[in-house]
Amino acid sequence: MKFLLKQKEFSVLAIVVIISIILSFVSPVFLTVENWLDIIEGNAVIGILAIGMTLIIITSDIDVSVAALTTAVTVSIGYLFQFLPDSWISVVLIFLIAPLIGILLGSFNGLLVSKIKIPAIVVTLGTLNIFSGLVLYITNGNYINSTNFPDSFMAFSNIEIAGIPILIYLFALVAAGTWFILKYTLIGRSVLAIGGNAQSSVRVGINFEKVKMFVFSYMGFLAGIAAIAQTSYTSAIDPNGLAGLELTVIAAVVLGGANIHGGRGSIPGTLLGVLLLAIMQNGMILARIDTFWQNVVTGAIIVIAVSYDEINHRRNQEKLSNIDVKEAS
Amino acid sequence: MSDYILEMEHISKTFPGVKALDNVELKVKRGEVHALIGENGAGKSTLIKVLAGIHDADAGGKYLFEGEEADIHQPLDATLKGISIIYQDLSLFPNLSVAENIYIGRDSNKKPWKKINWKSMKDLAEKAMNELDMDIDLNKKVELLSIAQQQMIEIARALAFDSKLIVMDEPTSSLSSGEVEKLYKVIDTLKERGISVIFISHKLKELFRVSDRLTVLRDGQYVGTYGVNEINEQELIKLMVGREVVYERNTEKADIGEKMFEVNNFSKEGNFKDINFSLHKGEILAITGLVGSGRTELAQSIFGVNKADQGTIRLNGEDLTISSAEDAVKNGIAYIPEARQVQGLVLGQSVVNNMTLPVIDTLRNKFKLIDHNIEKNLTNQYIKSLDVRPSMPDMPADKLSGGNQQKVVIGKWLSAQPKLLIIDEPTNGIDIGAKTEIHKLLRRMVNEGIGVIMISSELPEVLSVSDRILVMSRGRIEGEMNTIDADQEKIMNIALDTEGEKDVGNSEVSDGKSHQEV
Repeated sequence: MKFLLKQKEFSVLAIVVIISIILSFVSPVFLTVENWLDIIEGNAVIGILAIGMTLIIITSDIDVSVAALTTAVTVSIGYLFQFLPDSWISVVLIFLIAPLIGILLGSFNGLLVSKIKIPAIVVTLGTLNIFSGLVLYITNGNYINSTNFPDSFMAFSNIEIAGIPILIYLFALVAAGTWFILKYTLIGRSVLAIGGNAQSSVRVGINFEKVKMFVFSYMGFLAGIAAIAQTSYTSAIDPNGLAGLELTVIAAVVLGGANIHGGRGSIPGTLLGVLLLAIMQNGMILARIDTFWQNVVTGAIIVIAVSYDEINHRRNQEKLSNIDVKEAS
Repeated sequence: MSDYILEMEHISKTFPGVKALDNVELKVKRGEVHALIGENGAGKSTLIKVLAGIHDADAGGKYLFEGEEADIHQPLDATLKGISIIYQDLSLFPNLSVAENIYIGRDSNKKPWKKINWKSMKDLAEKAMNELDMDIDLNKKVELLSIAQQQMIEIARALAFDSKLIVMDEPTSSLSSGEVEKLYKVIDTLKERGISVIFISHKLKELFRVSDRLTVLRDGQYVGTYGVNEINEQELIKLMVGREVVYERNTEKADIGEKMFEVNNFSKEGNFKDINFSLHKGEILAITGLVGSGRTELAQSIFGVNKADQGTIRLNGEDLTISSAEDAVKNGIAYIPEARQVQGLVLGQSVVNNMTLPVIDTLRNKFKLIDHNIEKNLTNQYIKSLDVRPSMPDMPADKLSGGNQQKVVIGKWLSAQPKLLIIDEPTNGIDIGAKTEIHKLLRRMVNEGIGVIMISSELPEVLSVSDRILVMSRGRIEGEMNTIDADQEKIMNIALDTEGEKDVGNSEVSDGKSHQEV
């Protein structure tokens, strides 16, 4: 099975490679280091959110409030900046406070899903509206520019190590950390278990509510990190800047091989999903294709990839049940 | 130290409206294989759920494990104490590897951030596999294993937990004979290591082969515990079926008319084999047998939802080709499934919407829109003739009692004016008064010329309602009798018969009462 799973991630990787080859012919700029660093940095926010979303989708839930939640944290950051001194302490403080606000908002989702047992799609549709409504009320929809940002934060944003922007390191850290959680910790194992077979997981003593609570809070935590990344990347706070981003995030996760019915999904897969969407977009911009067509192509790829996966999965299941019947008779 | 690893006495469990267990006893010695038997609904599953901590027993019972108050209130408590339950539908995680499946749950009481050591996990899994003399790649995902292998993974998990008591719920129901032998060997190994096993099965021969002692339950009550040498199969069957009879026996000989429906050479791999029977005008035909005997699959095949591999059916002298439920309905065959709440009713919708569903395309006016007046009239007509209470066509179906829901389902199919009605466990989960009404309704339909085939595992019901009985076992019709000549023992003898190796690999998992699963 490991082979099969690898194969699955491999197929996304193969598409990434093929598209890269095509795009390198379309534009000589595409296959340069700078372009790739740009692509990754520009998609760090989507990537960080997609990593959190992977855990939620593995437990067969969904969170459509992520973009609104992230925006809510960015706006909070903007207000905090007015009170923070121009010192490195401010950067540290932001890295403590933003994730904390994220966890708070995320655990609100988690509470409704796990304790009151409302379907996650309903809960997060509701909180999506609550968060974005409050954001618009507080900001009046106004853009906050970087004049009030502490210089230390601006300096942080511009850090490059070995020619690679700090955001890419942040993204990599999140990815590695979450991968580690999934593979090496009990809570990560519980996430996979609940997605694989919820009833069995209760029988072996896994606390269902706690795990649900965890995935939504963790999503909130990563939304807090993503908010910092977004603020740092755009050097501004735009109350409408992330509207609709949740769909891209979910698309990336699903493209990466996570199954919306739960149980399947991995961090490497999600990273490839993010990358695939990112280079498609980048390539089409380089090829000067209308944004309208970009959306059509992206949508088509998602539908095709998911259909392929679903058909493949069903075929494997059928093969397996055949084996059972044969062995039994 | 007590001889007994498990002592449960005076265990009762009451669900709203039902006493599932009434003063039951189960005592298991160290290192013995103890069989737990009883008909469907005798209370075995409920007792195991109490044992496992899924249900708490009513106050007043005694539950000792290793001589001490068990204090088990959730599945994890049981696992940590050394009780492992291998459910019929297994508790595995298809998306995780063999090693992970064996290890899982071990640390459920530890901190969520506790690091998992893959090396020690694999060592542990490997050790358990070696003890069972199994050779399966530990990195393989469980979804790629056969059912027999998956079961071994569950046993390996129990070993890895140092379980002292392992409960196996119908472990052989989906195994081939070779695999069953292997399982017996594993059970012998467990015994040698001093591990006790509670073995639940309907196959009597099997029970006599593997177990040392057995406990019989009937209707939620304790019948007795016997050594396998003190009792034989006949005596055992008598103990199992001595059920209180709540219905009047059908003693009238039916006025049987011409043959209206027949099934010839019906087979479906893994479900049933060589099915031949016919239904005459004026009789109710009952098909009975244990859960998993292929009754429901057969009904679904006649109805077209579980297409048979071969065989023909004739209705009123006409050969029918049915490859979907739509075909069946068009040809006048109606099927009311067992899980009527799930399959038979649109619960949130009104009685009207439910009843007219099969005929909705005939209730349209000249603009091709649904005519609500005709719809309501039709519904009111059925509400009246079936005596649905309250007689409110606009009431959501889920607000009705179970019995009235069943009437709505019956009304729904009557509105389609079927020639043949197949009804699966017609009175499962509804109160006794409503049961009798449903029975009368079935008789009325027969008198009106509709063919009725009733599938039921409740023997008193079968003996009260039907005119002729077919008994299925392991996918075949093993017995046929007129109801006036039948009794519970005769039927059970056939239904439980385990001779030969003609297993067609049934793997039905629910036993009707287990809907209140974890």
